[in-house]
Amino acid sequence: MTDVWFVVAGWGVIMGGLALYAGLLLRRLGAAREASLRIRRDAEALPPPAPPAT
Amino acid sequence: MTGLRAGTAVALAIARKDAMSELRGRQAAGSTLFFAALVLLLFGFALGPDSRRLAEAAPGLLWLAIVFGGLLTVARLHQLEADDGALEQLARYPVDRRAIYGGKVLAAAGAMIVLGGLLLPLVAILYGLDLAAGWPALTATLLLGAIGFGAVGTFYAGVTVRMRAREVMLPLLMLPVIAPLLLAAVNATAAALGGDPFGELPAWLQLLAGFDAVMLVAGAATYGQLLEE
Amino acid sequence: MKTRILGAAALAAVVVAGANALFVVPADVNQGDAQRIMYVHVPAAWLAYLSFGVTALAGVGYLWRRDLRLDAVAVSGAEIGVMFTAFAIWGGMMWGRPVWGVFWQWEDPRLTTTALLLALYVGYLLFRRLTDDPHRRAARAAVVGLVAAVDIPIVHFSVEWWRGLHQGPTIGSPDRVLNPAAPGQFVIALVSMVAAFTLAWAWLMIRRYQLARIEWQIEEHGRLGRISAARHAARTAAARAASGEGAT
Repeated sequence: MTDVWFVVAGWGVIMGGLALYAGLLLRRLGAAREASLRIRRDAEALPPPAPPAT
Repeated sequence: MTGLRAGTAVALAIARKDAMSELRGRQAAGSTLFFAALVLLLFGFALGPDSRRLAEAAPGLLWLAIVFGGLLTVARLHQLEADDGALEQLARYPVDRRAIYGGKVLAAAGAMIVLGGLLLPLVAILYGLDLAAGWPALTATLLLGAIGFGAVGTFYAGVTVRMRAREVMLPLLMLPVIAPLLLAAVNATAAALGGDPFGELPAWLQLLAGFDAVMLVAGAATYGQLLEE
Repeated sequence: MKTRILGAAALAAVVVAGANALFVVPADVNQGDAQRIMYVHVPAAWLAYLSFGVTALAGVGYLWRRDLRLDAVAVSGAEIGVMFTAFAIWGGMMWGRPVWGVFWQWEDPRLTTTALLLALYVGYLLFRRLTDDPHRRAARAAVVGLVAAVDIPIVHFSVEWWRGLHQGPTIGSPDRVLNPAAPGQFVIALVSMVAAFTLAWAWLMIRRYQLARIEWQIEEHGRLGRISAARHAARTAAARAASGEGAT
């Protein structure tokens, strides 16, 4: 039943890869959101040349 | 003896610097690998689909892909410094020119070994080869081939780095010189994969080693002059 | 919030359909357990081509509307597409070895076309890295993606013709599992896997799209400088509050 190893390899890489990519994606998304928030906070800390809308 | 030690230190430092810039500028190195892989894929379209013919052609195709990738690599290793004017600075250091040459050859050979190492499994898959058979000999061939290519490539990259039309001059000058290396490497690879039925493997490897030795000596002797220009 | 539900649903679907395909469905009479690989290979291949289509269409859309959000869709499709293409090739190889005896067969038009698809995708992504200006990058990428998309069917037909000319032996076809005459259980397993994977794909696309938009905003802030960023940030905050756009 050496075929089983190919099934394991096939499924393992694909499922594992999907999980890995999803995890990395969520991490990148979190980091990007934080960075974006930081930029916005820094920007709002400056005396605005025009008054903020809200 | 201090001369040799200092020289080795310099060579290693230069090799390490080149390796760092290769790793940092991952994209260029990655693109080269991708290009070489693409060449292998396209060879399949050009020569296939008969798998037996492809398997017979595989050693030649592998080394052609390595050579093409190597041309890009060796040009790139010189281009970074040339652009920044660092080559002139390098030339001004009171350092044995041969050490500089040695370091750059080391870097080039290292890059080629990585390239070849990554292409081997790809070739095995695409052309249906069994690598397990002669892997020690394959490794030796790759090493000797990489060193030889690095020696010749570093020299000619140094020659052409400031020329116009250097993209075509480098291969134009290099490829004829590389022909014996290609011949030996391809035949050694084929012998290694086929179980060496005629016992010719040692002869090919010796040819490779001899080529490497000659080119290293010639390159080391003349590289210094290239820097002075 | 909706995306989170989608994600949970996708995960559940993949687990259930996957468990079914791996353990419940019986093995194929001829191909044995190796045939199970088809249950991941086919969805991966389908999503690879779907992503590619999305990338190409989004590119065309960008050229038409010059809206960078379409470019964000395009890059999402490309990145996720590269992944599924690699999976499809891997699955094909893992299936091919036990069934064909080789990891690779040049005469199979699907395998070779998918290999070229991978090459096109990778080239597309590498190409994008070379341009910094978002609009120029989007336009160039759109053109590259479009030409690549046009190429794919040509490649497929030429490889099929190639195979026909050489009369290569086709031992064992991946088509078996797609055959509508196949036993119902197989068909259900395959369809459920395709559906589950497509749900997962949709979730990944949404998340990747969100990432692309934020990254573009960060790029934008970096380029315009702090004062302009402040003005932009204020406007965005107001627009966000006005449209009630949640950050899920």
